[in-house]
Amino acid sequence: MTLYIVRRLLWAVLMLLAVSALTFVIFYTLPSADPAALRAGRQATPELIAQIRHSLGLDRPVYDQFFIYMKNLVLHFNLGYSYQNNISVRAEIASRLPATLSLTAGAVFVWMLIGIPVGVLSAIKPRSLLDRVAMGASLVGISAPVYWLGLVALFLFASDIGRIRLFGGAGSYVSITHDPRAWFSSLILPWFVLAASFAAFYARMVRGNLLEVMGEDYIRTARAKGVSERRVIVRHGLRAALTPVVTIIGLDIGILLGGAVLTETVFNIPGIGRFAYDSIVNSDLPAIQGTVLFGAVFIVVANLIVDILYAFLDPRVRY
Amino acid sequence: MTNTIRRTAPRMTAGLASVALAGIAVLGLGSGAAGAASHAAKRGGTITVLSAGDVDHIDPGEAYYSFTYEITYATQRTLLAYKPGSVNAVPDLAASMPKVSPDGRVLTVHIRKGVRFSPPVNRAVTSADVKYAIERGFDTSVANGYVGAYFGDLVGAPTSPTHRVPNISGIETPNATTIVFRLRHPSGVFVGALGMPITAPVPASYARPFDAETVSTYGLHQVATGPYMIKNNASGSINGIGYQPNKLIELVRNPNWNAKTSWRPANADEILFKEGFQDPTVMTRQILSGSADVNGDTPPPPAELRSLLSNSADKKQLVFTPTGGSRYIALNTRKAPFNKLAVREAVAYVLDRNAMRLTRGGPIDGRIATHFIDPSFKDKGFDQAGGLAFNPFPSANFNGNVAKAKQLMKKAGYKSGLYTGPQVTMVADNTPPGSNTAEVVAADMAKIGFKVKTISVTHTTMYTRFCNVPKSEPNICPNVGWLPDFHEPQTVLDVTFNGKNITSSNNSNWPLLNNPSINRAMDRAERIVNPNARYAAWGRIDQMVTRTAVAIPWLWEQYPTLFSSRVTPSTELWNGGSPDVTFMAVK
Amino acid sequence: MALLEIQDLRVSFQTRDGVVHAVDGVSLAVDRGRTLGLVGESGSGKSVTALTVMGLTKHPNASIDGKILFDGGDLLQISPAELRRIRGKRVAMIFQDPLSSLHPLHKIGWQIEEAINAHEDVSGQVARRRALEALKEVGIPSASDRLDSYPHELSGGMRQRVMIAIALVLDPEILIADEPTTALDVTVQAQILDLIRVLQDERGTGVVLITHDLGVVAETADEVAVMYAGRIAERGPLESVLEAPEHPYTWGLLQSLPRLDAPRTERLHPISGQPPSLIRVPSGCAFHPRCPYAFGICPQVVPPLLVSQPGHEVACHLPVPTRRGIGREVASKEVSVG
Repeated sequence: MTLYIVRRLLWAVLMLLAVSALTFVIFYTLPSADPAALRAGRQATPELIAQIRHSLGLDRPVYDQFFIYMKNLVLHFNLGYSYQNNISVRAEIASRLPATLSLTAGAVFVWMLIGIPVGVLSAIKPRSLLDRVAMGASLVGISAPVYWLGLVALFLFASDIGRIRLFGGAGSYVSITHDPRAWFSSLILPWFVLAASFAAFYARMVRGNLLEVMGEDYIRTARAKGVSERRVIVRHGLRAALTPVVTIIGLDIGILLGGAVLTETVFNIPGIGRFAYDSIVNSDLPAIQGTVLFGAVFIVVANLIVDILYAFLDPRVRY
Repeated sequence: MTNTIRRTAPRMTAGLASVALAGIAVLGLGSGAAGAASHAAKRGGTITVLSAGDVDHIDPGEAYYSFTYEITYATQRTLLAYKPGSVNAVPDLAASMPKVSPDGRVLTVHIRKGVRFSPPVNRAVTSADVKYAIERGFDTSVANGYVGAYFGDLVGAPTSPTHRVPNISGIETPNATTIVFRLRHPSGVFVGALGMPITAPVPASYARPFDAETVSTYGLHQVATGPYMIKNNASGSINGIGYQPNKLIELVRNPNWNAKTSWRPANADEILFKEGFQDPTVMTRQILSGSADVNGDTPPPPAELRSLLSNSADKKQLVFTPTGGSRYIALNTRKAPFNKLAVREAVAYVLDRNAMRLTRGGPIDGRIATHFIDPSFKDKGFDQAGGLAFNPFPSANFNGNVAKAKQLMKKAGYKSGLYTGPQVTMVADNTPPGSNTAEVVAADMAKIGFKVKTISVTHTTMYTRFCNVPKSEPNICPNVGWLPDFHEPQTVLDVTFNGKNITSSNNSNWPLLNNPSINRAMDRAERIVNPNARYAAWGRIDQMVTRTAVAIPWLWEQYPTLFSSRVTPSTELWNGGSPDVTFMAVK
Repeated sequence: MALLEIQDLRVSFQTRDGVVHAVDGVSLAVDRGRTLGLVGESGSGKSVTALTVMGLTKHPNASIDGKILFDGGDLLQISPAELRRIRGKRVAMIFQDPLSSLHPLHKIGWQIEEAINAHEDVSGQVARRRALEALKEVGIPSASDRLDSYPHELSGGMRQRVMIAIALVLDPEILIADEPTTALDVTVQAQILDLIRVLQDERGTGVVLITHDLGVVAETADEVAVMYAGRIAERGPLESVLEAPEHPYTWGLLQSLPRLDAPRTERLHPISGQPPSLIRVPSGCAFHPRCPYAFGICPQVVPPLLVSQPGHEVACHLPVPTRRGIGREVASKEVSVG
């Protein structure tokens, strides 16, 4: 197992390298704004732009820039400075991480709390009214665009502009250390909006998994042993049905930690996702690189953890 | 960046209230009214401004964007500045208006006594600080965007950007309170340029270490001279404190500001600029509900405006301000077929300006433009350009005149009246309303046989990679426009249509117009010191440029500002309707 | 009085394609210490019968009639709670594929202990000890290590032993073994069957051994019942049925068995035709479309199960002497004594 982990970590490093390189390539090949021109502003002379290009290191060949970037990253853990406002990318990501963490953790909690029981109940009573309503609602949850859902949530429940003034509106996020109550209130709507599509997806997945598992032979054996139906569903059915769900949760968490862009945008939560979006709009390569790498790290780590976890959950899988 | 024109500091005439735009309610703020009313207003409280994006640069020496100016002019004292209802600059840091020599080449300014920098610098402001502020604009580490255009004619000013802050001999400081500017040529507009942020004093010894870096970090450590300052720590850094990029800018009172030296009331104790509000409808409703006070960079969307206007209580909180600039369609004159005048005139006739204006909301958005100097300039060029009557490409209701367009195409050699050449390319915004405007343009051009291929990219990509780069410029740039830097018609015509200002990158003369007689007229007009003569000259130039049809103006835009009911409104006519936080008060 | 008596059991299922008559009037009996071999092709209804005894076929679409008498009560009438107390404790069942029938994610010991804990309130220690005992009794080597093993770590034969351990840990009175050896190697088959017989002798358990393999039945059963299309074709004491089988289906089964001592070139004799659809069961005698001896009355009248010899009942329209004659001939060719 240790050898397996070591091998995976080495592959992870290689993959992060590839992701960085790919980001560079994409940035330079696809049409995006010229950072030097943006920084120089209107009416700036070509000489000025050339100077800025030089000072930002943009006139060096791409592989040279890449090498310098990687050197800074690996040796000094320096993610560079934003072209836009000269802020340290690492510091900016660090300052935004708590917001993204808050959003992700809460959303995961909500969607597990809703999605899994709904999926289980639907599987226990397939084709019942409960099942049909739940699966119908989940279809809406999956199909509804997050941004739209966010706006609807704000127009219905935001404490400033909603019909029923309940929870914190857009831009009301504060850090938990600053004001726990306000922090919580500002995140309720984003949690539910972000969780909606995931809860729906997980409900369907759990329902499908559990239905399939409950048709397995070992369920029949458990019943034949005289085990109570509740125990059969939980200790036999769910135990098998939820194992693949664990891996998917891990992956989803990994992806979300890279930033839930749409949710952060509509609710104006200053997280990493929003930072990534703003960087792309501003053609701010160091910031783009920083957020991409950050997201990639989370996904790679999540993948690894999930695979190791799976080995613990399913004894048939061993490394 | 929600305004498709990069907004810089536009200035409006004081006679706004007399500009009757059908069905639009305007809060009449005369030039003096705002000042008098707010001196009697309550003190204290916090004002909250909402915006979608961030400032372009927090360093006052780099700022070149109308939203940024809301902060810059609240924290910095430029030589001249503007009262909310006025487009005429008055002394702020300066003790009085500059004295101009008879030949127009020497300007003398005295600065007020008793103006001090905020902590941690604390000392009194001297003329050397103003000199340094202008000089650092030429350094690549600061890279000011307009200093070359307006201050480049100073004696001793560098002709290309420098690697360290240059010493410009043409800026003399005979004593601590006097500055003498020497220009190589007489200029009519230099006085107007003294109202730009680059003239706000910067303490040299404090700033030099920051300016010595490749990209200056003075902005993150800036000091203030205005009534407010960006909140900083004891060593002077605002990073993460008063300035959290894309999140928040927090202004607090400048303890060293002496109210007796300033005409700004500065009623509120604190001003919060909350950023990142992407959805304009949500932002509008938040202002209406009172959880925020005014929009900083995003206008309320047309749907919300219409519902606001239908409610008499809400109407009072809404102010419409002419931006002073225009939106236009630029045709690339270096490539066929738009190198032919008749073809360009055909396009000018065929475009349905009404439909184009509808993509931005319709009449609420402003008047349909017929030339480039906008009505708010009044007798400073607008009247001289023929006013509203000057309309060289008329059509009924501005809906476009397809028959006349076809006639002109025939004159250009297309026998059927329809274009028969290869397809033409257009680079447009990929989000509404710019994308919608571009679609209308393409559809209209199809009426005279043009097949238009549209490349949709982000706003900044459109400018920096395509339209601003002559080599990569497409045939049509439909989403361009220009705002005046200050209230002089030169600022909407020179950079944009003078052949000498065509650059290989970051070019703003999108049609690539290089007409020798127009160029000559502009060069002459730049040197006219006498205002009436100057405005007459630029009025004629406006007509000349319009007739070339290299760019087809279609909108003299007006900008809506929405205030919550808990504050007294105050808008900067000189800055396109941005709120003036130094005059606003919490009720 | 038999330990377990099934009387005229009828089980049918409502499906999209129609009503499936899985069990159509089956009566069986099992005694203490005796083994009933239940033989038939797949789809003959033998598994459904067994599952119905366990109460595992209850479903909104299922219709169950008849009586299943066990220890003075009718299993089809008692409450679900009472049935659950019997299931696993007094009537136990083992299944065909031990790999899929054991939970892949729980340890062996856990799965045995669960069977105990479902019916008795004992401490963890006691349960574990009893699980260990059970493993030893079914002949699993290094039993204490095996308690912490997972099913996939054991061989097929070991897994089936574990299943038997689970089934017998509470000492049930009836053990139903549904094709317990079908998924195993031939060599292991014999071991498993042996094991069942040893345990049966020790405890006096009544065993129902369900199989499609007459060879298996010949080794282990005391009584045989042959099922076809949800009905009993023939039943009786093993010797009687094997000495003189009296149903054409039974003859077919015997003749279709591949024999090691037959010449290599001799072809196999499968029963002609296809197993019948249980939705559209053939009229009259369900076997008549495939029966080489079918005549007039066969498609019209369902043959009743009538006694032919003491204890030997047959459902066939052929005259008894004819049947016995053919039967003996088939038996002498196909059944080796010894």
